[in-house]
Amino acid sequence: MSPAAAPFRMTGGRVRLDGQEVLRGIDLEVAPGEVVALLGANGSGKSTLVRALLGLVPLAGGSTEIYGVPPTRFRDWHRVGYVPQRLTVGGGVPATVREVVSSGRIARRSRLRPFASAADRAAVRRALEAVDLADLAGRPAQRLSGGQQQRVLIARALAGEPDTFVMDEPTAGVDAASQAALAGTLRTLAAQGSTIVLVMHELGPLEPLITRAVVLEDGRVAHVGAPPEPEGECARPGHQHLHPHAPESAPTPLTTWNPA
Amino acid sequence: MSNPFAYDFMRIALALAVLIGLTAPAIGTFIVQRRLALLGDGIGHIALTGIGLGLLTSTSPILGALVVSILGAAAIEVLRARSRTGGDVALALLFYGGLAGGVLLTNLEGGGTGLQSYLFGSITSVTTEDLYVVAGLAVVVLAVVALFGRELFLLCQDEEVARASGLPTRMLSLLIAVTAAVTVVIAMRAIGLLLVSALMVVPVAAAQQLTRGFRDTMLVAMGIGVVSAVAGLLTAFENDLPPGPSIVLVALGLFVAAVLSRSMGRSLARRGGSGRTLPSGSEGMANAEVHR
Repeated sequence: MSPAAAPFRMTGGRVRLDGQEVLRGIDLEVAPGEVVALLGANGSGKSTLVRALLGLVPLAGGSTEIYGVPPTRFRDWHRVGYVPQRLTVGGGVPATVREVVSSGRIARRSRLRPFASAADRAAVRRALEAVDLADLAGRPAQRLSGGQQQRVLIARALAGEPDTFVMDEPTAGVDAASQAALAGTLRTLAAQGSTIVLVMHELGPLEPLITRAVVLEDGRVAHVGAPPEPEGECARPGHQHLHPHAPESAPTPLTTWNPA
Repeated sequence: MSNPFAYDFMRIALALAVLIGLTAPAIGTFIVQRRLALLGDGIGHIALTGIGLGLLTSTSPILGALVVSILGAAAIEVLRARSRTGGDVALALLFYGGLAGGVLLTNLEGGGTGLQSYLFGSITSVTTEDLYVVAGLAVVVLAVVALFGRELFLLCQDEEVARASGLPTRMLSLLIAVTAAVTVVIAMRAIGLLLVSALMVVPVAAAQQLTRGFRDTMLVAMGIGVVSAVAGLLTAFENDLPPGPSIVLVALGLFVAAVLSRSMGRSLARRGGSGRTLPSGSEGMANAEVHR
């Protein structure tokens, strides 16, 4: 495995769930440092695609690699941080924000070391501060608001200090303030060179960060392109616009794309 | 009032009660979080066949129960993981097969005299050898929780995130099921197979009324488990009752007390106008309700 290998590379990926073909031949490569948005209507296969990229659902055809290795043989899981759509409640046993976030260190911790090291604790503290939840660390995570829970899940991934983040609709059901906070966190990550794959329903305040958008339709890639030119929201004064607009940008701007 | 410590069997039974009170809620916390509250119950049914086999072959009923319930737990876990639909019918077949097989085998052996004591627990029948076996098994259960607690916590929080963190989720799921089976065998002499699951679930349900974190819930549940087991056993001794039902009823009483103290705490906080507001983002609370 070379360190320069693409975080994700799927070739002809097909996924069948309950006899239904959900992905019908996806070719997708995510290069290091990219911020890729996966867009599409409900049922277009976005969430299935990220789960297949991580090897969480088996492929019925084609192949996929994480850093050049098939998911079943992949071992460097500490390089990948997965942020699922929502915090699971399970049987209702409470867990504090700190407990949930600390569990994100697991891929980095050795079996031989039963207690958290100073590095573990520092990483958890940084993760909590990055999403502005340090004050709530002792609270039961399940009783926070939807936006706060989303930040807990992101902090859990941050605590593992991965190179690549996979986030499934991090902005779904999140209030505007939390969305803005999330955009700030992602901006920092992108500036540090992290690779980010985001499933999204709409671009919203994250739009300026996206380097490439992939639109799914009915289990196929319907459109790949640079994100739209700054206009509307993005063009308003005071808007921080950090990514450079490459000259070869969007042959078909996504602003014309209509999910309906 | 006679002194329960004057009797050898009571000293053994009390030691057993402490071990049961510690181990059942410890593994029970993971089981409750995984929504497998009835797993212990199913394993208890299956273990009965092991007891029947042990009695029939004149070997140890405890070892028979241990082997059969571990196999049964593994089978349950495989069925749970493999099948999305029809899984619970397969589980039912396993449970009732285990119960029917056990009743049949114990009757074949000796008219089923010992059956009652295995179903609802018995104080007088426990021996020093039983205590040694149970103590060894309790060490195994507590070691599993101590060594794999963090991995099991993440597994019970979110299985997909656990897999995407590189954890061997199938092995860990199997570990939970097998540890539950061992716990059933630990608890069966004193509580009985039909009620054994209660001590894995009820103390956890009581503890989570009072706590904010996972580790705290487990520790409080273990405390409630020990209190229930010891108090229930002493009550049973004083009144010449089977120990299983009295242990379970004490645990249920503590659960009700925990629920009441929580709701009283809430109404006091509300009246005081203090407390339960979040420093930031409380406008999203409605959202959290939807997610629940």
